[in-house]
Amino acid sequence: MSSWLDYTINGLIVGNVYALVAVGLALIFGVSRLINFAQGSIYLVGAYIGWVAVVQLHTPLPLTIIVVAAAAAVVGLIIERFGLRPLQNSVRIAPLLATIGISFVLDQLVMLTFSPNPRALPSQLPDVRFQLGGGTIGPLDLLIAGVGITSALLLFVFLRYSKLGWAVRAASQDRDAAMQMGVDVNRVNQAVFGIAAALGGVSGMLVGMYYNQIDTAMSLQATLKGVVAEVVGGAGNVPGAVIGSLLLGLVESYGVAVFGTSYRNLFAFLLLVVVLVLRPNGLFASARQAPPEPLTGTFIAPSRPVRIPRWALAVAAAGFAILPFFPVSFYVLQTLINAWLLGMLALSLTLVAGTMGQVSLGHAALLAIGAYTSALLSLTLSVPVGLAVIGGGLVSAALGTLLISPSFRLRGHYVSIATLAIGEIVSLVILNWESVTRGPIGISGIPPLSLFGYDLISPTSIYWFSFAVMVVLALLQGRLLGSHLGRSFRAIRDDDIAARAYGLSLNRYKSLAFIFGGFAAGVSGGIAAHLYSYINHETFNTQQSILALTVVILGGLGNVVGAIVGSVALVGLPEVFRIAAEYRILIYGIVLLLLVRFRPQGLLGTI
Amino acid sequence: MTTSAPEPLLALSNVNTFYGQAQVHFDLSITVARGHIVCLLGGNASGKSTTMKIILGLVKPRSGEVTFDGASLIGLSTPQIVRRGIASVPEARRLFADMSVRENILMGAFVRNDRDAVAQDLDRMLTLFPKLGQRLSQRAGSLSGGEQQMVAMARALMSRPRMIVMDEPTMGLSPLYVDRVLELIRAINQEGVSVFMVEQNASLALEIAHEAYVLQTGKIVLSGSARALKDDPRVRDAYLGGSEAA
Repeated sequence: MSSWLDYTINGLIVGNVYALVAVGLALIFGVSRLINFAQGSIYLVGAYIGWVAVVQLHTPLPLTIIVVAAAAAVVGLIIERFGLRPLQNSVRIAPLLATIGISFVLDQLVMLTFSPNPRALPSQLPDVRFQLGGGTIGPLDLLIAGVGITSALLLFVFLRYSKLGWAVRAASQDRDAAMQMGVDVNRVNQAVFGIAAALGGVSGMLVGMYYNQIDTAMSLQATLKGVVAEVVGGAGNVPGAVIGSLLLGLVESYGVAVFGTSYRNLFAFLLLVVVLVLRPNGLFASARQAPPEPLTGTFIAPSRPVRIPRWALAVAAAGFAILPFFPVSFYVLQTLINAWLLGMLALSLTLVAGTMGQVSLGHAALLAIGAYTSALLSLTLSVPVGLAVIGGGLVSAALGTLLISPSFRLRGHYVSIATLAIGEIVSLVILNWESVTRGPIGISGIPPLSLFGYDLISPTSIYWFSFAVMVVLALLQGRLLGSHLGRSFRAIRDDDIAARAYGLSLNRYKSLAFIFGGFAAGVSGGIAAHLYSYINHETFNTQQSILALTVVILGGLGNVVGAIVGSVALVGLPEVFRIAAEYRILIYGIVLLLLVRFRPQGLLGTI
Repeated sequence: MTTSAPEPLLALSNVNTFYGQAQVHFDLSITVARGHIVCLLGGNASGKSTTMKIILGLVKPRSGEVTFDGASLIGLSTPQIVRRGIASVPEARRLFADMSVRENILMGAFVRNDRDAVAQDLDRMLTLFPKLGQRLSQRAGSLSGGEQQMVAMARALMSRPRMIVMDEPTMGLSPLYVDRVLELIRAINQEGVSVFMVEQNASLALEIAHEAYVLQTGKIVLSGSARALKDDPRVRDAYLGGSEAA
């Protein structure tokens, strides 16, 4: 049993690692008001470059650090120049979505180059521990602390005494005024991305050495931890990010000490949600308010939606309905079933993100709640499957709305962060609440779909069932959008202050949107659970949340028909072109990037 | 005063500007002669501030020409325009609130590389704005509005500009500071810096300006020497809102 001092040392060391990521995020947020979701991917790239340097090139440690920092900086510069600079004049959500796309592309490229299997990353340092009070400390701990403190000092000197550092500070306080002093904001952005990437890359390498293991799952975790630390310290606040990181490291370490390792991330995200709710500007926000997020309306690319005549929709629906009568393979039906299930999730997300303007990055959590509810109802309480699926939808609507409600008072990027964290919390609670969810073992032997006592086992019957459910949900949502309620949703999205001035209660309407959206997503998850017959806490992950977001943007935010078209396109096209599974995520990332760059209003236009 | 400056320092000719569908400027033409203070007057939403943004390259006109010292500014970025010798005192001052007063003033010299001369200029600013001497290490955001205006003007002067553009330099200041600011503008001008200022307060601006233009919903409705416009009842009418007053 380790001592408290050991946990403290461990917390501070891990906090140092987070700080390297979080400081980069804070610099970037300061200058361009952007949460860089690709920061974790650079950390991943840094870890693998470190592996190549150490294991294949046998570089000495100081050289390894320099190589990793330089290579990661180059990646950062490329991201800034080709991924983000072209988006300077587009809608505010565009750069955020672009960094998500970039992170998918980078992660997949690393995975395709190095395979997803974990690798060992030796630290080249002697494996000794020194006694320190009641605890121990090793050379690697000292290295990490040294790198952290050196980086902080270098950064301080850069910001305080160099001309470019002054430009960075000026641009982060008032971009336009800085330009009027002759500051070239593009150069500032470059500098900031280069520094952030160098720090992030070194951080990834150090973590790899600390655990003597690297794998591609590191990326998302690093982004999440960095974002938590940065927001806790106050977005854009560089010293705050350092303190937030150390605090996060300590909270996690003590949490692990008391409850066990599987609770580590749960504490991180709970800390984030608590800070977002109580002090959205971070723990150390000065009296001066952080620059306000843009009103949500500017988040949606304005466009004129493509009008599709009703008869054309009816013909298309009829065509899909009679499809099983034609000699199509089970494979085609199976693909379309997946598209219909994704379609339900997309309907839910397009309502919440498009119509309501709350860009959720944790939507897969609603699937998980629906799936677990339906599975457990049918398995443990022997509820008929048809009712259990509806139960899944209802519980997902109620619980999802309740869980998301702390984020109702947030705006813009903060909503995305909060929903991402809440999504992770749901998955972690499922993992840890073993008495109900069976924890990491998952739930197996879930009964197949059935309706009024008849099992739906043939692909044809499952196809019809899922298609019918999706069409009903789509029709309901279409009615909703045309109603007074739908108009209120859009009013809040376009200008929540004006909407409030007209007496619309934001909490009430946001709840209604999430209730409706939660039901659709919960039903989709419930059906999926009975189809898969086995689910665990990783069945519905962040990748699915992002896939759903890509679908929704592809179809056009808020667009009901677009959500379905987008689902069929993103599920169907990779099948048509027989693209191997490992390339699909890469393609989704590229699709997202191209959409954001060239057609932010999607195929059918935003509504 | 000599009137033998044939080529103006700054000239906007036939500028048309749009925000989306809405037209902000209609064939706007303004000239600023070397060494003069020129004032652009107008009420709310007349397109005054947009004129400043056009000069600084923050907004691009759809058509028309902007020249400074004979060379076109169209297509140049804001930093490039600043390097040509135009400094600005933006609306509401826009200081870098978390940087010190000293850092703010030195940010004005960002485009310069002559360190020693910059240090001398900083001393010169402290004689011009003696109050700032005690405030140098204070956060700029903690200063009063009038003091912030002093910092903003010192910051603009630090680039050794040939022209300063100012957006409502007296807005939100106490009467005492308004007089002080006007005095300073005159003093700056007497050192050879041309000034183009946008103002709502016509009577104050006309006291120090050489020429003035009156802008109403994107069109120049009056222009001429400040002395002539001071007594022109149409200036007041233009403010009170157009046709019914005319």
